[in-house]
Amino acid sequence: MTDPNVTALVAEETHQVPPGGAPAPRGSRSIWAEALHTLSRRPTVILASLVALFFLVVVVLPGAFTSTDPQRCDISQSKIHPQWFGHPHPFGTDVHGCDVYSQLVHGARPSLVLALLVVAVSVVIGMVLGLLSGYYVGWVDAVVSRVIEVFLVIPLLLAALLVLSLFKGIDTGNGTFGSIVQPAIVLTAFAWMGYARYVRASVLETKNLDYVTAARVLGASDLRIMVRHILPNAIGTVTALVPTAIAGIISTEAVLAFLGVGVQPPAISWGIMISNGAPWFLGGAKYLLLFPLGCLVATVLSFVVIGDNLRDALDPKLR
Amino acid sequence: MSRYLVRRILQGILTLFLAVLLLHLLTTLAIQVNGNPARAFFGDHVPSKTQLAAVEKRYGLDDPCFDQTGNPCLGPFVHRLGDYLHGDFGTDLHDRSVTDIVSTAAPNTLRLFAVVTVTWFVLGMLLGSVAARYRGKVADGGIRGASILIDALPVFVIMLIWKYIVTVPVYTSLRDKLGADSFWATLFKPSFDRTHPWATVIMPGILLGLAGSASFIRLVRAAQLENYGADHVRTARAKGLAERHVIVHHIVRNSAIPVVTAVGFVFTDALGGAVVTEGVMNIYGMGGTLWRAVQTNDVGVVMGVVTLLTVLTVVVMLVVDLLYAALDPRIRFD
Repeated sequence: MTDPNVTALVAEETHQVPPGGAPAPRGSRSIWAEALHTLSRRPTVILASLVALFFLVVVVLPGAFTSTDPQRCDISQSKIHPQWFGHPHPFGTDVHGCDVYSQLVHGARPSLVLALLVVAVSVVIGMVLGLLSGYYVGWVDAVVSRVIEVFLVIPLLLAALLVLSLFKGIDTGNGTFGSIVQPAIVLTAFAWMGYARYVRASVLETKNLDYVTAARVLGASDLRIMVRHILPNAIGTVTALVPTAIAGIISTEAVLAFLGVGVQPPAISWGIMISNGAPWFLGGAKYLLLFPLGCLVATVLSFVVIGDNLRDALDPKLR
Repeated sequence: MSRYLVRRILQGILTLFLAVLLLHLLTTLAIQVNGNPARAFFGDHVPSKTQLAAVEKRYGLDDPCFDQTGNPCLGPFVHRLGDYLHGDFGTDLHDRSVTDIVSTAAPNTLRLFAVVTVTWFVLGMLLGSVAARYRGKVADGGIRGASILIDALPVFVIMLIWKYIVTVPVYTSLRDKLGADSFWATLFKPSFDRTHPWATVIMPGILLGLAGSASFIRLVRAAQLENYGADHVRTARAKGLAERHVIVHHIVRNSAIPVVTAVGFVFTDALGGAVVTEGVMNIYGMGGTLWRAVQTNDVGVVMGVVTLLTVLTVVVMLVVDLLYAALDPRIRFD
């Protein structure tokens, strides 16, 4: 027992504080620090993060950007062209006389909250199922793998269209949560499989490594081995998938809203604005399509850029 | 190989059965929670009890289990499976069978997919190979940047920009110069035209293929990079073979296997994309039918088309798996 690594491992498993006093730094931290270091040196990543951060601030504090109520529309003021800042309607008004700028600000919330919620819940579901099926193998794995396969053969958009048109018209309330709960459930149900597969593969790879066996020999419980020793290996891959997945959900939401089965009016989302604005593009009101489309593309692009660089930083094999 | 074949086919049938069961359970739950879709038949008109009962019977929704929340309705499920086996996928609100609608719509979807596949394959192989060959150089960086941009433009956005911003002015000027029936004018038509099924599908197909190519480019690049450092490539170079020969025969060929497996995933992706493309561009195909059925609330068509497309996906994935096993003997012995 002279190897310092073994001493640290024993100390950790028996909850003893190592002789140095402070707990030993985790090995995984260096990978994250390294990734952060790589990312912070790339101007595109910084720019993308700023854009994403800006829209997140808009989501949290819409009141800081506009005091106009997006629902208060004056039909006599319809289709005012953009007048830029300093005027009552900086980005103009739509067909019903609603303020476009205020709609853009308030429309960010459903799209982004939906995307973050869906990705967060599906990551959790995917990780739990992937861990269980990779660790216990046997019948648990057989069941989980079959379920994954069944959900995989029904394409996300098709499933969403089917279920949402079936459940159309159910009243779920008017708040942000009420207007997104239906698309959130459906998209989550058909978005978790990727994470489960990655985590399962990673668990199968690591669970027979020496340090895991060592932890088991030292009497660590299954739960502890899974969470402390196996899961950290999978976190990198899963994290790298998250920003791209957020971007994907944002654009899927726009499609659903365009078809009238996504976020439900009176709530406003960029998808609904695009849907309402598109027919007016040729009628001389180009800004009604261009503003929401621009916001959507800027958000999606920033998340995709972050995701691509994160994947690069966390998976050096691809370089 | 034959044992693997049998096992894989049985597995495919089981998956298909479970997927159809899942769709059935979701539908049943929706009917129990949200009320009978038979009411959509009447639109705003309030039907009498006997009228409603007659329509429910026509659509096979008259079983009492549809009124009991939580009841899985297995009786109607068996009945529906029997209908599916006879090729009966239900009818739309005007009593036209879904099979009939799909069989007239499928050729246009096949046209679209043909264009998509060619675009996707040419772009992916070409750009992926170039990026791998010049790894870390300007070409690699440029291709990577382009693929990120493609990723950031969802199919939906690409199609809206194409339809509303690009085609209309281009089409108008071409029509005035060359005539409405000239090839170039029809190529830029803002919506599908049944008299020119190929010409009006080419550009949407290329755009959809472009949208799906980003992940394929990355995959081809990664698969080829792995081979650039492999022993057999070093041996080939050591034997003095020309770099061109090494690339074509040793690298591109060996990286074909992961590329084939990607076909299955790209297919499901393209299916979703096809729904959006056909919907926005008014193409009369399977996806377009689904799109309009969602807009008009024709639940029978939505269910029938989604089920059919699910069957198609299972078959494609099965074929891909078998192809994979035929290409790579290691897969068969697991």
